Amino acid sequence: MRLLSSTGSLWRVSSRASPLAVEIRSLVREFKGSIRAIDGLDLDVAPGEIYGFLGPNGAGKTTTVRVLTTLLRPTSGTARVAGHDVVHDADAVRRSIGVALQEAAIDPLMTGRELLRMQGALHGLRGAEAKQRAVALLDRVGLTEAGDRRVGGYSGGMRRRLDLALALVHRPDVLFLDEPTTGLDITSRSALWREVRALNAEGTTVFLTTQYLEEAEQLADRVGIIARGRLVAEGTPAALKAKIGEPTLHVELADAADAGRARAALAPLGTLEEADEGEPARVALQAAGGSAAIAPVILALDEAGVAVGTIEVESPSLDDVFLAVTGSKLEGAAYEADEAA
Amino acid sequence: MSLDLLREGRVVGALGRRGLSVQFRKAQLLMPTFVLPLMLLAVISSGTSAARDLPQFPDVTSYITFIVPGTIIQGALLAGLTTGTALASDIEFGFFDRLLSAPVHRTSIILGRLFGTVGLAMLQASFFLLVALAFGARYPGGVDAALITVVLAAFTAVGIGGIASAIAIRTGSLSLMQSIFPFVFVLLFTAPAFFPRELLTPVLRDVAAYNPLTYVVEAVRGLLAGDAGLGDPWIGLASAVGLAVTMTALATFALKARLRAA
Amino acid sequence: MNTQAATHRASPVHVALALWRRSLNEVTRVRGALLPATIAPVVFLLGMTGQFGRLTGLEGFPTDSYVSWIIPLSCLQGAGFAGAATGANLARDIEQGLFDRLLTAPVPRWLLVVGPILGGVTRSMVPATVVLLVGVAIGAEITGGVLGVLGLYLASATFCAIAGLWGVFMAVTFRTQQAGPLMQQGVFLAVFLSTAYTPEALLRGWLAGTADLNPVTYVLEMARQATVSGYAPSLAHTLPGLAALAGMLVVFGLLALFGLKRMDR
Repeated sequence: MRLLSSTGSLWRVSSRASPLAVEIRSLVREFKGSIRAIDGLDLDVAPGEIYGFLGPNGAGKTTTVRVLTTLLRPTSGTARVAGHDVVHDADAVRRSIGVALQEAAIDPLMTGRELLRMQGALHGLRGAEAKQRAVALLDRVGLTEAGDRRVGGYSGGMRRRLDLALALVHRPDVLFLDEPTTGLDITSRSALWREVRALNAEGTTVFLTTQYLEEAEQLADRVGIIARGRLVAEGTPAALKAKIGEPTLHVELADAADAGRARAALAPLGTLEEADEGEPARVALQAAGGSAAIAPVILALDEAGVAVGTIEVESPSLDDVFLAVTGSKLEGAAYEADEAA
Repeated sequence: MSLDLLREGRVVGALGRRGLSVQFRKAQLLMPTFVLPLMLLAVISSGTSAARDLPQFPDVTSYITFIVPGTIIQGALLAGLTTGTALASDIEFGFFDRLLSAPVHRTSIILGRLFGTVGLAMLQASFFLLVALAFGARYPGGVDAALITVVLAAFTAVGIGGIASAIAIRTGSLSLMQSIFPFVFVLLFTAPAFFPRELLTPVLRDVAAYNPLTYVVEAVRGLLAGDAGLGDPWIGLASAVGLAVTMTALATFALKARLRAA
Repeated sequence: MNTQAATHRASPVHVALALWRRSLNEVTRVRGALLPATIAPVVFLLGMTGQFGRLTGLEGFPTDSYVSWIIPLSCLQGAGFAGAATGANLARDIEQGLFDRLLTAPVPRWLLVVGPILGGVTRSMVPATVVLLVGVAIGAEITGGVLGVLGLYLASATFCAIAGLWGVFMAVTFRTQQAGPLMQQGVFLAVFLSTAYTPEALLRGWLAGTADLNPVTYVLEMARQATVSGYAPSLAHTLPGLAALAGMLVVFGLLALFGLKRMDR
């Protein structure tokens, strides 16, 4: 089936939904003053995936989400969600998506239950069906008891949970979450992660933006790293980390004098890093497999008669990936380091 | 704490400047205080000018000159109310607490805010006088009259600012202050703001005698028209100054009460 | 792909009702919310009657009672500000992100504002009625009978909807609550640059011409059939008012639609 669009170009409209949940081609979004928030983005998300969109503030994550959820028009390029074009078929897109944006979009004067029923009304759910759906969703996100209290009195975590419930009222194919756990405490964050995994297990595609590395590593099947409006790296968390280097084993020898023999013994097991004159007793070896390489290393050193003090495995993090591809650190990483400390 | 007048004076000046600069930072904030009274002036002076044909209406060179005093007092009222609203905003959003924890004399905080009100009211009154002039007002009373008018407006604004501040301190609620807005018009309408006292309805005429603003409006009218028959400037001045002093005291009292209760 | 995403198309009536109910929360769930909106027109009613009451002594005034002359003006003023409040509430929803949620629902954009505008109209009935009651209490007469009062309420309700559309246009254009004063100033100008204080015959200067061009002048005339003895209810007073209301509905409706469409730019 071919249709002539208003711009005169030919679009091929397939008679069945496109296989991709999200399909972005050469997307550009400019703002006043020629600021390109999105600068030529190409991205695919397969149905049933959890896709993590990672980047610092101002990278273009939220703008991308707003384009995909039909809140913003692209300046150029195309975007399709659940097989429908976000510009020409916006209504169909809206029927297929659930949205939870950065600000928990709630009305403080209404109760949780009322908000869910109103959302149901917007999606064509009537009467009893809307009521039941509200009950089910309140239960799902653990807000049954608070359901009849005004949302204005909810805590931050409760608001996010309600926000998620509101996004799910019509059982969307694709769920968009824009920084869903920013500002939440650890318990709330874990609870939300559990919920996202459960939804994904039921078949919902999840497109999630985040500043938190841990979140991307924990949840995402694939991660796209965006900086200054462009995708700078993409892949599974493991593949990305492997791309910039293998894990490093740091071996602390019992006797610095053994360093030469140790280095000779370990050379076949991986790539030796240059010896550090300030730390003669340390030998650093890059070995694929990380902790799996510990046993062979110990065996090799033992056979060479070298006594070992300690062995540490250092894995590259997504932060290292980010640093490698963009040259700057990810802000979220700094925050998480403080949290862990 | 010791009373270092010079330092307190500087504090008052700084707070006053801040209050004033916030007003001009955003154009939208200018609307109610500068534009609204002028709109009412335009509408009333044009819409009711047939009133000059009424037998008891005093002889005036230009109708708009008769109406302007009402506009000026309205401006002063709005300036005072804005002060109270700004204070309520500061209280609600915590800036006030920061002020309180600084080594600043309590009275200086009130005076600083009212100092800003004075600046605002003087700018307003001058602006209104000039705009009215451009639209046909004539001031037989001359520049002297205009200057005294500006001073009267300043005192009035301080008076209203004082009572608005007292309310703000008592309630600490911005939304409450904003809903007080209609009462500005109650004060205005119960004075001969736009019509001579003799021509007000009897009920209003009686009430007007008790409204300090009545004497201020009439004083301004008399000054600008160069006709003391329309209003005695001295009574007006006494009224305005009295209002300013009592309301400032009220605000200071409210502040001290709040601090004691804290 | 999760194939459970089937839902019925939402019926426009259902959506409008849901959003209308929500907009009423502004007054039913916020204590004293209607007070300022009601007090302001009453203050103007009493104040203007007190100040300018003697104007009825002039030749050409269609009534002896100034309060009767002013009641319809205050009703329109109250209704107009209730409509502006609709715009202010929308601006708040936009600023706080709730409107985004509504925009991502499969509902046409114009339908999202129908409910709130009707909510404003519902709310406007309170100040209009209070003004009428207070006016009658201080001596006004209902000279136009039931028809006249109906005309008054119709004028107020429709004017409220028009003010609401203006407020919506401001809200979606500026997307901030700071546009609130603009909404109110618009209503103020519309209401007062007319035969607000004195009838056509007694207007002088630039206001005479302006009032002639202002559609609200004709709406006022239609509304004044309720209380002004000189305006007996008739088609001559009603038709121009209805035409003015219809015209304004179209103009501001188009503006609001235009603004809504441009929200994704």
